[in-house]
Amino acid sequence: MTDAHANALLSIEPLSSIDPAAFSQGISLHGIIKNDCRIHDLRQGDIIVREGDYGNSAFLILFGQAIVSLETLPASVLGRQPKKKKGWAEAIAQLWTNSHGVEVRDYSRRPGGAQGCGLVGSRDDESGTHIFLHDIPRILPAGKSVTLREGEIFGEISALTRSPRSASVVANTRMRVLEIRWQGFRELLNRHQAMRQHIEKLYRENSLRTHLREMDLFRGLPPETIEHIASKAVFESYGNFNWNQNFKSTLKQDISDRILTEPLIAQQDEYVDGLVLIRNGFSRLSRRHGDGHQTIAYLGKGQSFGLRELAHNWKTGEQRPWLLSLRAVGYVDVIRIPTAIMEEWVLPRLASSELPPPLPALEPLEPKEDRRLTERAEMMDQGLLEFLVEKRLINGTRTMLIDLDRCTRCDDCVRACAATHDNNPRFLRQGQTYDHWMIANACMHCLDPVCMIGCPTGAIGRDQDTGNVTINDNTCIGCSTCANSCPYNNIQMVEVNDKRGLPIVDHDSGAPIIKATKCDLCTDQPGGPACQRACPHDALVRIDLSTPDAITDWGKR
Amino acid sequence: MKPRRQKNRFNFVTRRIRFSIITIVSLAILSVVVFAQNQTLRHSSFTTGYLLLGSVVFLAAFNLRKKLPFLPVFGSATFWMQLHIYVGLATFAMFGLHIAWRFPNGMFESFLAMLYLAVAISGVYGLYVTRVYPSRLNNLNEEVIFERIPLFRQQIALQARSLVLQASESSGVLASLYTNRLAAFFEQPRKLSYLIRPTGQVRRQLTQEIEDLDRYLKEEQRCLSRQLIAMVNQRDDLDYHYALQGRLKVWMFAHIGLTYSLLAVALLHMVMAQAFSGGLS
Repeated sequence: MTDAHANALLSIEPLSSIDPAAFSQGISLHGIIKNDCRIHDLRQGDIIVREGDYGNSAFLILFGQAIVSLETLPASVLGRQPKKKKGWAEAIAQLWTNSHGVEVRDYSRRPGGAQGCGLVGSRDDESGTHIFLHDIPRILPAGKSVTLREGEIFGEISALTRSPRSASVVANTRMRVLEIRWQGFRELLNRHQAMRQHIEKLYRENSLRTHLREMDLFRGLPPETIEHIASKAVFESYGNFNWNQNFKSTLKQDISDRILTEPLIAQQDEYVDGLVLIRNGFSRLSRRHGDGHQTIAYLGKGQSFGLRELAHNWKTGEQRPWLLSLRAVGYVDVIRIPTAIMEEWVLPRLASSELPPPLPALEPLEPKEDRRLTERAEMMDQGLLEFLVEKRLINGTRTMLIDLDRCTRCDDCVRACAATHDNNPRFLRQGQTYDHWMIANACMHCLDPVCMIGCPTGAIGRDQDTGNVTINDNTCIGCSTCANSCPYNNIQMVEVNDKRGLPIVDHDSGAPIIKATKCDLCTDQPGGPACQRACPHDALVRIDLSTPDAITDWGKR
Repeated sequence: MKPRRQKNRFNFVTRRIRFSIITIVSLAILSVVVFAQNQTLRHSSFTTGYLLLGSVVFLAAFNLRKKLPFLPVFGSATFWMQLHIYVGLATFAMFGLHIAWRFPNGMFESFLAMLYLAVAISGVYGLYVTRVYPSRLNNLNEEVIFERIPLFRQQIALQARSLVLQASESSGVLASLYTNRLAAFFEQPRKLSYLIRPTGQVRRQLTQEIEDLDRYLKEEQRCLSRQLIAMVNQRDDLDYHYALQGRLKVWMFAHIGLTYSLLAVALLHMVMAQAFSGGLS
């Protein structure tokens, strides 16, 4: 964007109402508009955001109208075609129907998805590929959609909290929208009180109450108390939303320096100012050890930090500080419930059995006193814990973990994967290792699926029921955005061939057609992940590393 | 709030105890049946024979299960492996009961018995190597895929050659050792004796020989000789991987091949035993 464009935008509401003086020279309002924003000119029917996608930007309508679907659009319209589960006969038929060539595709026999049945089309311009609806009234009838007009913002909650888009938005006229990246949007909120209040109000009304009610700690509280807590909660974001972009270079840093660059959410020995609820992302619990910091545990979405200190201080009247530090690993979105609110509204209403154990005495008299600061994570091997956190493997919900002390390298897992994917294995039996554990190069179906950000056709998507991340081969255009975003190199771009083994090429350019491929957890197979079921030696498991419980149990077999 | 402690669903000890009890109880019941049949002058060999044949068919079906990884109804390969181990061990007792604990004296039966013992002993050997070799392989620095070992060997050989060429610009000491000793090590596959019994003897010898040259080398050349030692270690690790992984693959090939032979001969034995039973079965 040029300076002239930025200046022109600053003369339009609501940007014109923002006071440039509220911004520092380093991060000026003009700079944010110039560097963190992008203008999109859209035609009627263009899909702007899809429900279920992960995004890192909000949108401001400069002119024109968009419509928000109040109902979930068919998966085919969103570019995702969930794979149909194979029946027994189809599953067995794979024995002789699987191709003998590499990455064979037969597009003539495949259903064309939404594009094939005329619901959507695609067009390319200098800003990229756009998927558009042919017939908006048919897909989005008036009673099932809401219109957004000039000056309105949408997509802001997803952009700020790294949560999936809650609805699909489609251009209803020719329109121009300003896409604001999360960095710029966060700065705008920090400097523009009205905008911040508006966004927070939306969030409190739409999500926070439900979120609080779902937590064990607040479940028994009356609605008006929840209401009060929600009104006093503070929203905070830490770390880099695009952590995946510099993750590999971060790994080259010295480990002790790396931990110090992680933003502090709560610092050891400082005043306990509230209960920290992790909304999204991961954080590391650490304590000072010698001249460095030792990882004690990691916390993810839905977990909380500080209840033990809060309860202890409230019960004893002491003022013990944080026993541990809480640091953002990548990007973390938290809610802080202030100490005063906890002491007045929450702790008195909890039964004594619901309260955490008191903090260990500063000078223990009993040698057998339990000095563990966390319940489970300290039972995990310290080195393994550090390995999982440092390599951000805690992101994986279905990580392929191989016990090298049991794996006979027979490759039955690879053969099983190939047998269920038209003779093309979707993982590599190699990867990062620690002690006798190997994290194989297979899609981990991450909690924070950065691969899903930026797919122009919505081909990569997350199943709402299972959480599996899959790629729709029909709508994938081979742009490599997902493969480049994956910090773990678990998405491969492959050239596809026809039955004769000849490369399938683009009609216009003559270039070979490329598709993104990865583990899909055998979603279309009746038996689930074939790799795990094929291992005869109990050496391979698809495991949730976002909490330490599963791997602790697996390690103690 | 205290976390709820759940039973570890991955526990091996519980599984071993459970399967062992089932196997022992089943064999005890079979022994009683055989004893009862013998007491009533009936031929228990038909009972044990059919049971043994059925067990061998079941054991061989494990390979079929591996070909059908997509079907859930057959259970996981881990479960099959456990059944394979315990049924396989139980066949020793079935076989003993079948031959009344005496080695058969007919040529055909002797051949069949030896074939069974070959399969069974190879199975026990397989159980041993599949439990012991993985950790031995894991003790090495790098994890290598078997099929890629020749490629890595080639790469190391090229690196070693270019390193020695670099060293020979100032002195021929390392080049001489390379020509006489190291070239064969880097460029040729290991002998069969190593594949049968891999040892670190050659690695130690070559390392010592390179280190012995230190007194003839300048500081920068010593640095190159250390890199050469690292390459010797890398190559030896690759060979060790090749030997152990190769043995696991050869064992699997032999075990399956012997099993199919056993099945064929055992079926023939069944037909003949049935044909010449004289109505005793």
